Amino acid sequence: MRSAAGRSRGWGTLVRREWPAALGGVFLAGLILLAAAAPLVTGSTYDRQDLDHLFQGPLAGHWLGTDQFGRDVATRIIYGGRVTLAVGFSAVLAESLVGVAWGTVAGFYGGGLDNILMRIVDLLIAFPSMLLAILVTGIFGPSLVNIVLALALTAWPGTARIIRSEVVALREREFIEGARALGASAVRILIRHLVPNVMHLVVVRATLDVSALILIEATLSFIGIGVQPPRPSWGLMISESFQYLHSHPHLVIVPAAVLSLTVVSFNLVGGSLTAAFDPRKRSA
Amino acid sequence: MIRYLAYRAALAIPLFLGAALLIFLAGHYAPGDPVQTLLGDHYNPQTAARMRHELGLDRPLAIQFVAYVRNAVTFDFGTSYVNPSWRVGEIVRQTLPVSLGLAALAVALAALAGVALGVAAAVSSGRTADRLIQIGVLSGLSVPSFVVAAVLVLVFALHWRLLPVAGWGRPEDYVLPVVVLAGAPIAYITRITRSSVAQVLTEDYVRTARSKGLRVPAVLLRHVLRNAALPVVTTVGIAFGNAIVGAFVVEVVFNIPGIARIAVNAILQRDYTVIQTVMLVYTALFTAINLAVDISYVYLNPRVRY
Repeated sequence: MRSAAGRSRGWGTLVRREWPAALGGVFLAGLILLAAAAPLVTGSTYDRQDLDHLFQGPLAGHWLGTDQFGRDVATRIIYGGRVTLAVGFSAVLAESLVGVAWGTVAGFYGGGLDNILMRIVDLLIAFPSMLLAILVTGIFGPSLVNIVLALALTAWPGTARIIRSEVVALREREFIEGARALGASAVRILIRHLVPNVMHLVVVRATLDVSALILIEATLSFIGIGVQPPRPSWGLMISESFQYLHSHPHLVIVPAAVLSLTVVSFNLVGGSLTAAFDPRKRSA
Repeated sequence: MIRYLAYRAALAIPLFLGAALLIFLAGHYAPGDPVQTLLGDHYNPQTAARMRHELGLDRPLAIQFVAYVRNAVTFDFGTSYVNPSWRVGEIVRQTLPVSLGLAALAVALAALAGVALGVAAAVSSGRTADRLIQIGVLSGLSVPSFVVAAVLVLVFALHWRLLPVAGWGRPEDYVLPVVVLAGAPIAYITRITRSSVAQVLTEDYVRTARSKGLRVPAVLLRHVLRNAALPVVTTVGIAFGNAIVGAFVVEVVFNIPGIARIAVNAILQRDYTVIQTVMLVYTALFTAINLAVDISYVYLNPRVRY
């Protein structure tokens, strides 16, 4: 397969051909490292106010300046990344678990059960993710747990649909028939044989979903029903500084740039993974 | 085909009722007690019980739901919890047309720009123009709408002072909101058009049309676009849905008196009658949009027959 060929010719070739994705990957790795080590790399806390130094431009000590409360922008970007990535990854983990379980069960058993499970998926997919997320956090309140649940709710039906169609194809293959002939139980076939064979799809799907869910979280936070202050999130930082757009545009531009780069990077890496796992998509 | 359409339309009713039930239950089990909110400082058990009875909140849930649906059919959604003088039905009547009008303009712009860019990309496949459009598509799908709004406001309203920062009523107030709403839809209409047109371009009848001497624009208009239109039409329906949801950002940023801004304010004030009603309106809208997309699909594609 193509990905194997790429690997055999070494990382150099792979990086040269997939350089946008490689660049995105490096950016994300750096971001994840910074977010994970936030307390070690930042000299401040995300809510410490320095009222003598409001709206400062970049200078020694505050290398991205300070915001309207004199809080260090660089620190808030890194802590905001921590919140955004933690919310995004938890939501993707939750929706992948539900989506894979739902999709494999529907695809493996087929028939009436499949029909019922997939009609529920159809119903949820028919509504825009953003609206579902607003509905959940709007009614149940914007705690971090509710945000994660809202994001997971919007994403799992898509995963379930993809996994189901793959499982329907796998179900008829010899190795499944072989496992059945050896007397393996349905649960064993599901967990030992079907799930491992759809994992590559789950990884690709999860990468693309992280970017979609980060966008939704940022939008929720921007309109005030996502992450709540003083905890920072990139969407919330943009919203809080929007009224200073004219006088201090960097307060909006810095979080906006980091957010956009993060989403682009996840999309690039996801797109490259999709192509690597699907030889048909290469020719297109 | 008539039978399929009737079946599809009839299917929309139980779906909508199911969604209405979910919204009703979510409002019922949501944290916070509406009676307590309404009474505020005047809260005591006797008045609370009397009020609960007046509002019908002490009746069984099933009966409350039936009453809710019966009132909703006549567009009576009760009054706002936070501002009891507001009839919620009246608020919807005033704000929904604003949001729908914006969405329609945005979709028209997105369809024109998306199809033009998509065709341009497909025709110049692999060359610089195609690459640039592909980069534009990726950014259009990745950059959040409020970031686009911030940049446009900064450049066109604050720096060059060509357009108003916010406000509503004058024609120039429409420009930035419509462009921001159209952003993401332009990106994926372009993407769908590009792949659809690229596929049609490989068909034999296109080569035949070219070889009999027809010029490229004529081939595109007469042979390619007509055959590539189907997936694009479906996407336009999705774009309309996205433009309606995109209003949650745009109406807040540009201070537009549409239904999404009402929804955001209601959520921030925990005004449950308004939240429930707005969600019900959105559900009805999306049920209708999905129905329209399905019907247009059957209507446009002679190969889909039920």
